[in-house]
Amino acid sequence: MAPPFTPYTFIQCPCSDSSTFNRRSPPSTPTTHHFHSDNDDNDDDDDEHPFDPRAPRSNYSLFPLEYLLYCEDCHQIRCPRCVAEEIVTYYCPSCLFEVPSSNLKSEGNRCTRSCFQCPVCIGPLSVTSLESHPDPNLIPAPDNTSAAPHGGPYILICSHCAWSSTEVGIQFDKPNSIHAQLAKLRNGGNPRMTAKERKERRKDLAQSLGSSYSAASGSGYPSHFADELDLDLDLETQFSNLKLFYQSQLANANPGGGASGGSASGSGGAFGDLGFTSPTSLSRILNIYTSTSSQDKKAKSRIGTMREALDRDEGLKIANLDESEAIAKLHAEDHAGTVSTSQLLNQTPQLHLGEPHLHGRSRFASELRPIPYLLRTKRSKRCPICRHIISKPEAKVLTTRFRIRLVAGSYIPSITIRPLSLPNASTPDPSALRPSKPAQFVLTFKNPIFEPVKITLATPALTPGRFPSKVTVLCPQFDIDANTDVWDEALKDGDKRRKKGESMDSATGGNNGGQHQHQPAAGKIWERGRNWVSIVVEVVPASLRKPMPVVLKEDEDLLEIPMFVRIEWETDAMGDEVGAVLGKDRDLPKLKRELAYWCVLGLGRVSDQ
Amino acid sequence: MSRRPPRGEYIETDTGNKVARKATLVGTQNIMLGGKTVIMPEAMIRGDLVRTLQPSPSSSGAPPNNTAVAIGRYCFLSRGCCLRPPGRLYKGLFTYMPLRLGDHVFVGPGSVVQAATVGNYVHIGAKVAIGEFAIIKDYVRILDDTVVPPNMVIPSFSIVAGQPARVIGEVPEGGHEAFELRELYKTVGNNPQPAPV
Repeated sequence: MAPPFTPYTFIQCPCSDSSTFNRRSPPSTPTTHHFHSDNDDNDDDDDEHPFDPRAPRSNYSLFPLEYLLYCEDCHQIRCPRCVAEEIVTYYCPSCLFEVPSSNLKSEGNRCTRSCFQCPVCIGPLSVTSLESHPDPNLIPAPDNTSAAPHGGPYILICSHCAWSSTEVGIQFDKPNSIHAQLAKLRNGGNPRMTAKERKERRKDLAQSLGSSYSAASGSGYPSHFADELDLDLDLETQFSNLKLFYQSQLANANPGGGASGGSASGSGGAFGDLGFTSPTSLSRILNIYTSTSSQDKKAKSRIGTMREALDRDEGLKIANLDESEAIAKLHAEDHAGTVSTSQLLNQTPQLHLGEPHLHGRSRFASELRPIPYLLRTKRSKRCPICRHIISKPEAKVLTTRFRIRLVAGSYIPSITIRPLSLPNASTPDPSALRPSKPAQFVLTFKNPIFEPVKITLATPALTPGRFPSKVTVLCPQFDIDANTDVWDEALKDGDKRRKKGESMDSATGGNNGGQHQHQPAAGKIWERGRNWVSIVVEVVPASLRKPMPVVLKEDEDLLEIPMFVRIEWETDAMGDEVGAVLGKDRDLPKLKRELAYWCVLGLGRVSDQ
Repeated sequence: MSRRPPRGEYIETDTGNKVARKATLVGTQNIMLGGKTVIMPEAMIRGDLVRTLQPSPSSSGAPPNNTAVAIGRYCFLSRGCCLRPPGRLYKGLFTYMPLRLGDHVFVGPGSVVQAATVGNYVHIGAKVAIGEFAIIKDYVRILDDTVVPPNMVIPSFSIVAGQPARVIGEVPEGGHEAFELRELYKTVGNNPQPAPV
């Protein structure tokens, strides 16, 4: 069975509606906007457009209150989709060390210490000594045994699924800086060249080959070099070889342009390396696409001077089409020896590690590599309109404080929903909504701000969708008292009575007598507290079989009520004027504020009986 | 929570701890409660699993620190959960290490916690297993049925789920207050108060 349904409230961020997004002042009413009109069929002529929570766009604009921020300058709600994020700190989620952003460019977005995830189950890997009980017969290690009791080779081991790096034939000499050690090791324990070593090696080779190349008269490399190179021709080397080769080809193809291209590649950026800055190479590239006939003989002949890579040093790698080895291995190892798609996806991009690409090769568990932890970030958030920072965490990794944290929950009232259970009513399961049977829910609005607020609610009489349910808000307009300080609570009795008397006089009405005996009535508040008010909403769920049984789409049995909430309150003009603090006792001109937004109340699922 | 427990079900201490009489506390002299902590019936704390090796004999003057489980303020240990200090081989000998819980830690029913450290404002759901020497930082939510592997470090503001656990989301800025357990503390005990609206 499905888990029990918990009612929810989602609030729509104004960023989803382009008509209201750029406005600094809050919208007074929801305005008709043409891109909304396709969501709505029945009341196009109406000015007040009910928001349809089922519209496909709504998925991207509805958020729980906790996820929303609030811009104090725009006086508007901001959601995770519309805020502009800026990264404050990068850190490893495992060792919690901060990574400077300069290291990020050179070393990538993974932890370069000793933090690894298991390639099989993504659990954390820990470094353990392979020889947990050193053989006393062996000659004791010269290092201090009390400081490092476990010498010898170290392995990475997963404490969740017991995978260990011995399964792929990797051992380490030192227990620290595993990342650097791993970069020099292939699966199986063979050494692997790092990018720097590769560069130096190429230089050496070029020097030594300079003489031997001419001696061998173009037949390739001497055989001992060929063997070595074949082993090293992984994707990274191949790419750098190819790049070097084509650069030289470009330079050779047009010596005039090549010089300028060469100088540009020295000074220019990434494209400069490819010779795109040279006008001749650009025109050559354009010619490839434009010239179908031999309009430009000169350019054509120039293309003809380019040749392809011919040997390993130029980046040629003959595809290994003989897969019999892989098939034999598959026969031997069975399904258990292969990797799953998710395991493959969790692998780091092989380019970065410079490993042989898994693409086009057999995918065996023996080829998995430990996954260095992906770095995590702390991010500050800005209002997309006024660019003010609305959330900023402390830069240090270990602190959880925020310098700025303007969350919507401290500005707009929270709405909680619970089914109304009257003592005399005998509803076996109030959360189950039965078709055509009225159900009542208590909505509790809690005011977080220090001023009393006036709330006006509006819902469409019928919920949108194929199965319109009837909705009645029994008390669509009410006041909530201010969120006073806790010590004010002691004085609340007299205060509240006075306030309630006021609200009785006002048109909104109020009810504070016999809170648990009364019946829900139109225009009456159900319950009221220090800074909260409960009201009753009555729904008559639609029958899901009317007019005839139909196939339900996903979540069509979900009863969601779109509700427009408008909050009005008065505030001292303190936030805008610095000197206003002095005149606290005087009667300052109160600033009237309002905020309006759509929200969606998810009440429950209508049963299909 | 709605059921009103019979009178005297909890022992309420001077520091405000509410310990159910039916809770199983082993080795109570090794269990430190910070105060205002609720321990529900059938919860178990293994204070007997105290460390056998003292960290360093150099601090000879100080009495040996025998705390096995240290719990901060406003923690809530639900029915049937178990706090168990983690143990491992250290210098060739097996020893337990202390388990520390910060403030406002909720441990859901049926969960087993063998972490080294649990920070402040941590919500551990129901039927969660937290492996030995896991480190959980502040403001972490661990969803139901999660298995946190041993030695895992969960950074602050993570939402964690799965077997093995993985970080599936981030705690939003507005969600910090939801970790507060002050109100929940008031709803249990010998004269529980109804939860506020």
